[in-house]
Amino acid sequence: MKTILKAALFGASLCTLMGSSALAQNATFVLGSREVGAPSYNPIKATRLNAANTFIYDRMVIQDADQSFHGQLATSWEAAADGMSWTFKLRPNVKFHDGEPFNAQTIVWWVPKFKGTENAFMTDAIDKVEVVDDLTVRFVMKTPDPNMLFNMASTFMGVPSPKAFDALGDRYGVAGAVGTGPFKLESFTVGQQTVLVRNDAYNSASALSANKGPAKIARLTIREIAEDSTAFLELRTGGVDMLMSVPTDFLPRLSAERGTKVMTLPGTEVYYMPMNTAVEPFTDIKVREAVAFAVNQKEILDSLFGGVGAVANTFLISGLAESKVDPKLMISYDPSRSRKALDEAGWVAGPDGIRAKGGVKLQVKLWTQNGTEFKRVTEVIQAQLKAVGIGADITIFDAATITAQYRRRTEHQLAVRVYSWANADILDWFHSGKRLGHPNHAMWNDPKSEELNEKAMKGSRTWDERVTNFRAYHEHLLSQFVFAPIYQPVQNFAFSEARLSMPAVIRGTRLQGQTVVDIEVKR
Amino acid sequence: MTIPSSALGRLLRTPRGLGAAIVLAIIVLAAILAPVIAPYDYAAQNLRNANMDPGALHWLGTDEFGRDLFSRIIYGARTSLAVGVTSISISMVCGMALGAAAGYFGGAFDRVVTMVVDLSWSFPEILLALILIAILGPGLASTMIAISIAYLAQFTRLTRAQVMALKSETYVEATISLGAGSGHVLFRHLLPNAVTPVIVAGMLATGDAIILEATLGFFGLGAQPPTPSWGAMMSSGTAQIFIAPWIIIFPGLAIAITVIAINLFGDALIDALDIRQRLREG
Repeated sequence: MKTILKAALFGASLCTLMGSSALAQNATFVLGSREVGAPSYNPIKATRLNAANTFIYDRMVIQDADQSFHGQLATSWEAAADGMSWTFKLRPNVKFHDGEPFNAQTIVWWVPKFKGTENAFMTDAIDKVEVVDDLTVRFVMKTPDPNMLFNMASTFMGVPSPKAFDALGDRYGVAGAVGTGPFKLESFTVGQQTVLVRNDAYNSASALSANKGPAKIARLTIREIAEDSTAFLELRTGGVDMLMSVPTDFLPRLSAERGTKVMTLPGTEVYYMPMNTAVEPFTDIKVREAVAFAVNQKEILDSLFGGVGAVANTFLISGLAESKVDPKLMISYDPSRSRKALDEAGWVAGPDGIRAKGGVKLQVKLWTQNGTEFKRVTEVIQAQLKAVGIGADITIFDAATITAQYRRRTEHQLAVRVYSWANADILDWFHSGKRLGHPNHAMWNDPKSEELNEKAMKGSRTWDERVTNFRAYHEHLLSQFVFAPIYQPVQNFAFSEARLSMPAVIRGTRLQGQTVVDIEVKR
Repeated sequence: MTIPSSALGRLLRTPRGLGAAIVLAIIVLAAILAPVIAPYDYAAQNLRNANMDPGALHWLGTDEFGRDLFSRIIYGARTSLAVGVTSISISMVCGMALGAAAGYFGGAFDRVVTMVVDLSWSFPEILLALILIAILGPGLASTMIAISIAYLAQFTRLTRAQVMALKSETYVEATISLGAGSGHVLFRHLLPNAVTPVIVAGMLATGDAIILEATLGFFGLGAQPPTPSWGAMMSSGTAQIFIAPWIIIFPGLAIAITVIAINLFGDALIDALDIRQRLREG
C-alpha cells in the first residue's frame, strides 16, 4: 500500500513538474500600440499587418539592419545582367503548417495572387514565374526591378499555403492563416489577441537566427493593448513578458525598472503630417508651405521625445540614400518663412491671432489617432500652427475609423500620421494618383509627380539609377509641400529579464520572427 | 411650478444640504468666472515647464505640455457643467413632453413610446452614448446629444407615471368635464404637478452625466484638444502617472467632489420635498 502511495505521489509530482515546465514555455508579448487593430493575417491582400505575421510566415529573403539580404525560403538567387530575369533556388524539405509541401509550384501559384490587390506594386514588374526544377524558379520580368530583394523581404511577402488560402477564400487571414513560419496560428481575435503555438517541424530559419530548429517558446500569446501606459503597467506587474514597441517617453521609467531591460534598434518610422491638397485652403501651395515650415521638429524631438531619435526634414528615414536631397528642399522649422507665405497668400492676422481672408478664418481640421504619442504630437502641432496664425481643430479617431474617413477623400485636411518602411518606394505608396484618399491622404495627383513616380518605380534598371530617380521624385514632392515631416523615432522594445533570455544581438530591420525563434523562456 | 421656497429653506437648514449647496455654488462660480480666476491661458503651452510639481508658480502643477493645471481644471468645470446641465435639460424637456403625451393620450402612441423607452432602457447609458458618438463623430456637441438621448428614457417613464396617476384625480376629471382642452389640462394641471420629481431626478442624473462626459472624454470622444475636459485630462495623465501623478489626481478629485456635491444636494432635495414615494412610483 505504501509503495502504491509513494508511486502515486511521485507520479503527481512528475505531472506537476511537467505541467510547470510546459507553463514555463509560454510567453506573452504585446504589440506596439500602432499595430493594434490590424484586421488580418492575409499578407497578400492586407494593407496593415502586425509583427506577428512574420512568426506565422517565412519570406523568400529577409533583410538585416545593415541592409544586406539573407535567404529564408530561398537559399540563393541570381539576377540576369540585363535585369530581365531573377532565378531563386528554394529551400528543400520545407512544409506548411497544414503538411503541404513548399516548392516551385507554390511560387508559381503565389506571385500572380497579388494582381488586383493593394500590394500588387511589389510584383508588378514580374511577367511570369517559370519552374526550372522542383526547387528552382525563374521570374521573367516585364521591366527590370532593382528593388526585387527588398520587395521579397517585405512583411507582405510571407508565403501562405495555397491549399489553405484557396479553401478559406475571403476568410483567410482571420479564420485561419497557414505559413511555414516558426509558429502556427491557433486563434485570432481582431484588436485583442493572437494565440500561436510552436511549429515543431520548423526548419527554414535564416542566417539571422542562431537557432536553426523550432522556436524555444511553445505557446506565444500576442496581445493588443492600445494604451501604452496600460501595456507598461502590464509589463511592470508581470502580466506580460515583452512590449514589442515602447514609446520613447517611457524609456526613462522602463530603464529605471528593476528586472526590465530595454533594447533599441535603428528606426524605420517617420512621423509626418499630410495635407489634403484637394480641399481648400490646401489647394494653395503657399498655405501648404506655411504649414510645413510652422512645424518645429526640434522642439518636438527635445520636449516630447527627450532628444531620442531624430528630426525628420524629408519624407524618408535618414538611412536611405534617397533622403539625401538638395538641402534647399529640406523642410525645417522656419516661422518667418511660414508667416511670409501666409501673407503672400492673402491671409491676414485677426484680433484673436488666427488669420482670415475674405471673411473666412484660417481654421482647419487636424486629425489624429488614439494613442498617447499621437495625441501629444498633435497637440503640440496645434499650438505651433496657432503661433503662425493657423487655427486647428483636433479630432481623435481610432485606427479603423480614421482610414474609413480618409477614403471619403474630402473630409480631412491635416492629419498626424506615422509610417514604418525602409525603402523609397513608400513615396509611391503615399503619393501615387492611383491611391487617392487612402493611402494617398494628401490626395496628391499631379502629372509631373506621376511621371517621376513611374520613372522611379518602373524605369530604373540598376540600384543606383533607382536611387537617382527616387531622389528626383522625392525632391519634387518636397518642393510641392504635400506633407510636413516631423520626427524619426528609434525602435525600442522592453522585456522582463526574469522571464526571457534574448539573443545578445538583434538582427534584422525589426523585432520579427528571426529573433523570436532565439528567445528563451527562463524556468 | 417650481421647487417651493419652503422646501429650499428646509434643504439649506440640513448640514448635508447646506454643505453640498456651498460646494456647488463655488464650482458654478469658478466655472462662470474662469477667465477672471484662472491665472494662465488654459491652452498656452510651455514645453520647457512640462510636468512641473505643484508649487507657488503653478498651484496644481503643469501637464505634459507645460500648461497650468489649475487653469485647465477651472475651465474644465465649464465643460463638465455645461455638458451635464445642457444634456440633462434637453433630456428632461424631451422626456417630459414624450412622457406626458404618452401618459395622457394613452393608446397606440403610449404603447410605441413605452416600447422604445423600454428598449433604450435595456442598454447601459455608456453603451448607448458610445454607439451614438460612433454615428455622430467625436466632439462636444455629439457628447451632449448622446448623453441627452441616453437619459431620455428615465424622464419619459417618470413623467408618464406621474401623469397617469394625476389624470384620475378628481380635480383633473372635473376640469375635463367642464370642457377644458388637452393643452389646458396638460400644461395647467398635470405637468406643473408632475415636474417636481422630474427636477429632482434631473439633479441626480446631472451627476451621472458629468461622469459619463468624463468617461467619454477619457476615451478621447468628448471635448477635443485644447478644450479642457476633466476626463480627457485624466486620460492624458495616465501616461504621466509615475512622473506627474497630479495630472490625473486633481481632475479626478474635481470630478469626485462635483458629483458627490450634486448627489448630496439631490438627496437633501428629495428629503426636503418628501418625494421619495413619488419617485418610487416612477
